[in-house]
This record gives sequence, C-alpha cells and structure tokens, in this order.
Amino acid sequence: MKRNKISNIQIKALIITSIVGVGVLSLPSDVALILDNDGWIAIVLSGLITIPFIVMIDRIFKMYPNKNFFQIGREVLSPILFDLFLIIISVYVILLLAYTTRTFAEVIKAYLLETTPTEIIIITMLFAVSYIARGKLEDIARMALIIYPIIIGFIIFLLVINLPNMDYTHIYPIFDIKFKAMPKATIAALFSYIGYEFIILALPYVEDNKQTLSYSLRGMFFIIGIYLIIFFITLSQYGIDQLKREIWPSIAVIKEVDLPGYFLENLDGIIMAAWVMVVFGTLGPFLYSSGLILSNLLKTKTHSFFIPYLLPIIYIIGLLPENMVQADEILGNMVNYFAIVSIMAIPAIIFIVGYIKKRRQKV
Amino acid sequence: MKRKILLILILSMFFLSGCWDMVEINQRLFVSSIGIDLNKESGMNKYIVTYVYPNISAIGKNASEKTKKFVVSTPCSSVFQAGKEFSTKVEFPFYYKHLKVLVIGEDLAKEDKLLRQAIDGLNRDTKINKKVQVLVAEGKAKDILMEKPTTERVTDGTIYNILKDNKSASRFTPQTLTEVIKDSDFCCVTLAPRIMKKDKEFQISGGAILKNYKFIGWIGEKENRALALMRNKVKIELIDIPYKDTIISYTVTNADSNKEVLIDDEINVDLNVQLEGYLQEYIIEEGNSVYNQKVLKDMEKAIEKGVKKEIEDTIDLLQNKYNADLIGVGEHLSKFNSKEWHKIKKDWVNIFPDVKFNVTVDAKIRRTGLTK
Repeated sequence: MKRNKISNIQIKALIITSIVGVGVLSLPSDVALILDNDGWIAIVLSGLITIPFIVMIDRIFKMYPNKNFFQIGREVLSPILFDLFLIIISVYVILLLAYTTRTFAEVIKAYLLETTPTEIIIITMLFAVSYIARGKLEDIARMALIIYPIIIGFIIFLLVINLPNMDYTHIYPIFDIKFKAMPKATIAALFSYIGYEFIILALPYVEDNKQTLSYSLRGMFFIIGIYLIIFFITLSQYGIDQLKREIWPSIAVIKEVDLPGYFLENLDGIIMAAWVMVVFGTLGPFLYSSGLILSNLLKTKTHSFFIPYLLPIIYIIGLLPENMVQADEILGNMVNYFAIVSIMAIPAIIFIVGYIKKRRQKV
Repeated sequence: MKRKILLILILSMFFLSGCWDMVEINQRLFVSSIGIDLNKESGMNKYIVTYVYPNISAIGKNASEKTKKFVVSTPCSSVFQAGKEFSTKVEFPFYYKHLKVLVIGEDLAKEDKLLRQAIDGLNRDTKINKKVQVLVAEGKAKDILMEKPTTERVTDGTIYNILKDNKSASRFTPQTLTEVIKDSDFCCVTLAPRIMKKDKEFQISGGAILKNYKFIGWIGEKENRALALMRNKVKIELIDIPYKDTIISYTVTNADSNKEVLIDDEINVDLNVQLEGYLQEYIIEEGNSVYNQKVLKDMEKAIEKGVKKEIEDTIDLLQNKYNADLIGVGEHLSKFNSKEWHKIKKDWVNIFPDVKFNVTVDAKIRRTGLTK
C-alpha cells in the first residue's frame, strides 16, 4: 500500500477539477462587465498567463529530482523565509476555501434549498470534503478522475440544450477592444484559473514525469476551452446587457432553455447536482493541501491531523461577510491578491533562486 | 458498544431522512398564469394581481372535480406580495416554478415605473422560469384570466398553447420575459402580443409596443406580419393579394430577411425580404391556367408589390407615429457597426424617424398545388 503514485491522466484531471469551481459561475458576467462583448479575450489572456508558471513549477522539480516542494523550498530559500511563504500560502488556501464554501452555500440556497440555513449547507459540505482531504494524494487523484467526466458532461449538456435557441448575432461586435480595461479584466478572470498550483504538491508523485508538462498544459487549454464555450453560450443567450445583470449567468442560463414540448423544463436541479460534484472536486484538493502545508510548517508526521481543526476556521471565515456582496467584495478580493502572491510570485521566486544556485554550482 | 452504535444508527434513520417537511404534490398550488393590473386607488397597493392555478383534482382520467382552474385576485404592492395576501384565502402555499404566462393590463403598461418594478421582480426571482410568455391585455388582465374558453382541453394551458403553436400564422409574435428585457436593452422598444376579449372568449392578435417599458400603442395583425417578415420571425403564413380582379392566396413556407445599413450623411437601410412558397387559391375559370411561366411571374410581381406596400406602411407607422425602432436597425448597428452606433446611440430617438428605408421583396412561387 506504499504506492501513492499518480499517473499523468490523473494530473490532468486534478488540474481541471481543482480549477473549475465556483469561479466559472460568475466569470462570464465578470469579464463582460469590464470588457463587454470582448470578455473572451480576457479569458484567453489570463489562461495564457498561467502557462509560464506551470512550466516554471515543472522545471523546479526537474532541477531537483526526487524531492518534494517543501524539501526544495527549504534547500533553495532560507528555512525561515520559506516558512513565511508557507504561512502566506496557507492563509491564502484557507481564505479561498472559506470564499468557495460561502459562494457554494449561496448558490445552493438560491436554487435548491431555500429554507435550509447557510450554516447547515456549509457544515455538511465541509464534512464531506474533509473525508477526502484526510486521505492520501492518490485518493484525491482518483476522485479527480471520477469528477473529470462529470465536468465534460456538464459542458456538453449545457451546450446541447442551449444550441437550438441561441441567437448567435449577440456575440457581435467581436473586435471592439477596449485596451485600457484589459489588465483589469484579465485580473478579474484570473480568479477562475486559480487552482493550478495544486500540481506543486502533486508533481513529485507522478510516475512518468517526462510527459507531465504536456498533460498539465493540455488540461489548461481544456479549461480555457470550457470557459470560452460557457462565455459564448451565456452571451448569445442573454445579450450583453442582460449578461451584465446576472450574478451567476452560467447556471441561470439554464432557465432560458426552451425545448419543444413540456417535458424538459426547470433543468436547474440537474445542473446543480452536477455542480455540487464540481465544487467537491475543488474543495477536496485545497483542504488536503492546507493540511499538508500546516503539517510541514509544524513538522508533524501526518497532514490529516490538522483537517478537523481547520474546518471551524473555514466555517467562521466563510460566515463572516454579512451578505453575498460583501463576500464578493472583501473576501473575493482578498483571495485574489493572496492568489497573485502565492501562486505566481512564490513559485517564480523559488524557480529563479533555484536556477541561479544551480548555475553557480556548475561554475 | 457495538449495540449502542447500532441503536444510534437505527434511530438516525428516523431523524435524518429528508422527508419530514415534505409537501405532497396535491398540497402545492402551481401558479400557471399571473395577471397584473393597475390599482387606481392611492396607497401602497399599486397593483391588482391575479393568479391562476390549475385544480390538480380535475386532472387525469379519474378526475374528482369539475372546476378546471381557480382564479384569485387581490390588490397588493408587488407580484409576490399577492401570494402572501392569498395565503389568508387558500389552503396551500404557491409555487412559481411552472409559471408560463404573464398578462400585463393596459393601464399598468402605461405606468413605466410600476412595470419596470414588476418585470425586475420576476427577472430577479430564482424560481421563475425566464421563458415566461409576456402578453399585454387590451383592458384588464384580470377579466381575461377570468374567462373560460369553450374549447378548453388542457387545464388552463389555453393561452400558453395558443402562443406555443404559433407555427401556422404570424398574427402575433410570442415574446418571453428575457426577450422583452433584451429588446428593451438594445433600443428601448419591444413588442408583446396583444390579448383581448371578444364576446365570451379571448383572442391573441397583433401586439403592443412597449417603449422604455411604457405602452405607446397597438399594432394590428397586418403590421405584426410585416414586422415578423422584417425580423425573420415568420415560419408559415398565408398572404392574400389582389391580382387582376380576384384575390390570390399565397402560402409562405420560407421567409428570410436581410438588413444592410449604410451610413453617409443620412442612414440608409436596405431591407431585402425573400419569400418562398406555393399558390394556395386562385379562381376556377375556363382557360385560366396558372401553369405558365408568364402568369406566375405576374403573380409574383403582384405579391411583391403587395408585401412591399405592407412593409412600407408599417415602417411609416413606426417611424412617424410611434417612433419605435422595432425593426431592429439600432440592434443591427450596435452589433455590426458599433463605432458609429456609439456616436448616435444617445440621439437615436431623433435619428430614427429620418432613416431611409429601401425595401425590396423577392417572392417566389415554387408550386401551384395539384391543379394547373
């Protein structure tokens, strides 16, 4: 049972499941609000921005084979600095978990469980997630491989039922680009791409690490594709002004579906059921990684020890914002800033410092 | 220890099963139509809201009751407030998931602020299906919903069914809630079908123009057909055209329209409507054959002329009487020439009446039926 190795397909599934989560629900209206019809450019751009970082993470492990992220970090940076970085990352992960669970609860409350208290939704979800998070990396990778087809099915279902009554002309004007607003939109779209940093923990366990980079990049392109499809579906169903008005257009668009006959109506229940699995696939890896980081920080043997203690923290932070708007404005923005530091800056620093050190050793 | 765990597990079956607050389907009232009217009395209750819900006991083979639908009506301050008002009268709670028809009274449609409120409420709600069909009633929405159609088969689906089966004619164009909002976003105007009372029945024909969510006038069946031709919304339609000294009927099986907008000093719109169809009716006379290229061409010309006149009259009506861009020129500009559109968007109300339309109709008679 000491295997604990994962395959490349599992890496791809892990990237996809941990990235696609709550961000996808609001992404179309977030980018449309800033860039109008050209929101898709921001989606593509911020997807492409993440690629150098994936390459960097992959290179780090190529430079220091047979070592995991924590060993490399301690070797490259001074242990105190690295511990500081770990604290930042763990704060980021906890904030992200809190924000995700809160948004999840709000969406579920809006569409499915009207009278169920938010607390109950969050607690049950966190308990379910903590089960998978206490397992080994291999378990999480297997879970990802199960959820991965659900995401594909979700997209195909959304596409197929929307195709008959879409108005394609709504995607025009297609190249009316506002260059000034582009950076802002790109950063807004970036939130939907966080989650790829999970490979920093997963890569050392890959069996065949030659192909890993190409599999991870394929996963990334797959996600850009998913986001583009969803953006164009929602845009052509709603038109630009109505799209800006929606909070969660990707789910609300299901209410626009009008198939002939009475038999298919109110499909939001089906979509929500699939989406709960998708969120589970996001929360699982993050909770696991927060436990792992803490166990490394405090030098315990297992990570599962921390997870029960993290749940109340996540729960409290998740319930701190008074309403949905505050959750988005304060918690969402905080997650965004922490994300830029911990999933872009920190891997980049480790890579650059490690690269310089290696070159010096050679000379 | 094991026994205790087992006992807890067994007990939890009673408390954790999700059915303790279930509501049986016959204890739910599914609102299928909502009518909103203006309450002229002063005070908070600005609306008169009418709910229609089917009698579940009257559905199916072994129906135990005869009344097919119930109609309740009350003055209230919002659409959903009405549901709470009714709770003092009806025994079960309302469910809005199967709402299909929204009828807006004429008086309410004239109050744009109140209409905006009502539309926002429906658009915001998470339960309501956004494909709700929107109609504007001539007179009061309440009177129309109270009416019992004689040919009723499906419990209370009548209005919805008429709208849904709108394949055979374009006397009206169904409009959903999202479409109303979408159209209003683009160029402030939208068209909702008109429903009116005729004797003891109701009838859906023509449409109501809503400009900035404010009712400004009716259009008839002919104008609606012309509009449908311009906006590509015709599926099958029968057009009667005078030809020589008789009238010919021409069935349109395929209609397609193209717009091209040119901006110089003034805005020119080239509107090209292509019709395809067959001859439905002529006159039975000796030596009067239509199986002849020349006659058919002649007929096509007559049809083109007639349809062109219909379209031009409608454009004239929209430009000069209502100043409402229902043709979608503004929408077309915003999509395909957005630079110019941003310049003229604010002034569009003043520009639209001066837009020059150049209508061309291209009708083709492909078949002549069974006889020559």
